[in-house]
Amino acid sequence: MRSLAEYLRLYLIIETQYIKARMQYRADFIISSIGMFFSSLATLGVFWVILGTVPNLAGWSLMEMIFIYAFYMIAISPMQILFDHAWNIRFHIQQGTFLKYYFRPLNMMFYYMSEMFDLKGLTQLAVGIALLVYASIQLHLDWTLIRVILLLITLFSAALVQISIIVAASCAAFWVTNSYPVLGLAWKLREFSPYPMSIFDGAFRFAFTYVIPIGFVAFYPSQIFLRPEQVSPLTYFSPLIGVGLFAITYWIWTKGVNSYTGTGS
Amino acid sequence: MRIYLPIARATFMVGLVYRFGFLFTIIGNVVYLGVAYYLWKSIYHYSEVIRGLTFNETFLYVGVGSAVFVLLKTYADWFIHYEIREGNIANYLTKPVDYQIYNLFANLGSLLVSLLAISIPTAIMLGLVFRVKVAFGIGLVLFPIGLFLAFLISFSIDYFIGLMGFYSESVWGLSITKEIIVTVLSGALIPLQFFPDAIQRVLYWLPFQAIYHTPLMMLTRPNQGLNVFLPMMAIQLVWAVLLFIAARLFYNQAIKVLRIAGG
Repeated sequence: MRSLAEYLRLYLIIETQYIKARMQYRADFIISSIGMFFSSLATLGVFWVILGTVPNLAGWSLMEMIFIYAFYMIAISPMQILFDHAWNIRFHIQQGTFLKYYFRPLNMMFYYMSEMFDLKGLTQLAVGIALLVYASIQLHLDWTLIRVILLLITLFSAALVQISIIVAASCAAFWVTNSYPVLGLAWKLREFSPYPMSIFDGAFRFAFTYVIPIGFVAFYPSQIFLRPEQVSPLTYFSPLIGVGLFAITYWIWTKGVNSYTGTGS
Repeated sequence: MRIYLPIARATFMVGLVYRFGFLFTIIGNVVYLGVAYYLWKSIYHYSEVIRGLTFNETFLYVGVGSAVFVLLKTYADWFIHYEIREGNIANYLTKPVDYQIYNLFANLGSLLVSLLAISIPTAIMLGLVFRVKVAFGIGLVLFPIGLFLAFLISFSIDYFIGLMGFYSESVWGLSITKEIIVTVLSGALIPLQFFPDAIQRVLYWLPFQAIYHTPLMMLTRPNQGLNVFLPMMAIQLVWAVLLFIAARLFYNQAIKVLRIAGG
């Protein structure tokens, strides 16, 4: 077993080389970052247009929605930046190149995911942070030390929830080879996480809270900061939900890796 | 025509191979419809009519919009870009086919697959599960024409982006930027009527609304007169022709920089 510090050091070395290689295509980096910038503002644009015609969305004002949206942007960034290679599992499986990941004395998920570091995701993170600061100032939120620590913990767990959903979906490749449809669905669900969960009822609310808990990526945790008096006790369990979900995903990954037999090509 | 029709047929057959994928796309659309239903329900909590649209009309617009979106999303930009970068385009240069027409028909084939496998089930769901009602009027007759013109415009934009493969290494950034601009400014996510008036007036003249807003209005408000629909279709036609020619000229220029390494 290697120590965490050792993995961290290794990760830095791998990514430095990766970034050097990517920087050969500077124009591509710039265009991709612009694309990321626009795509990170799309759903917010929808909220903006809607809240121009009605005063609030299920009781949430535009500025509160911007805060929730900013939380969402930051929470999905680690998935985008560190786990983007999840999208390529299907190609490696199809072409038989996945075999190489079995032959290193490293944690396989670590080794596999470290092969990509999505630079354009940094744009998303920057947009998220900028919006969070902006909304906090406009809403006069009081950032005490405790609350900042709480923000970091909730963001960490929200990021884990998002990573778990995408990585678990990409693992479908181990059984059905083309995991794109499953990933596409997971990706689409991701876009609904900044919506106020209070607009849903019945099956949808249940599914978004307990089955595929996208509510914990943005809406539930940001309530702690926006309306602490209304928070349901369940929300404080969100760090456990993040860790628990990641454990399940890791279990699925291990199962998949062990059952993979190749496509014969 | 005789040489291009089999191309559409071939992509249609290839598309059918990926049946497993349809299931997830349909599930995705059902979830989207559900989310859109609740979202607009909560927006219409305040009044019966917003910006001249009732809840039923708005939901029909957005719901059919999602079905049309799947229809027009042919990934042509990704595919063409890939072929240029990999050098596969050489296969077409040696054959007596026009690359643009070839791709147009190939996309028509995959459009038919999506129509049968995804759009029609989504539309049925819209009627049976969500009980959306469609009014009668001349718009219903014009809808297929409007949709076809929308396809031509959407294809030309995608083809144009794909041709950037002659100049750039990766298409991700361009494709995403295009997709966001098209979906947000076209009415694919929110009816155009919800935009502030000044922005609406500008959007009316752009090709993006011609892709979604025009055909969707033919379904949501079919009983408007021809004096409303004909100018909208004229804008569609002008953009369809303009973009088609522009893409053609661009291709003739871009093909000159093509270098393919042997191997």
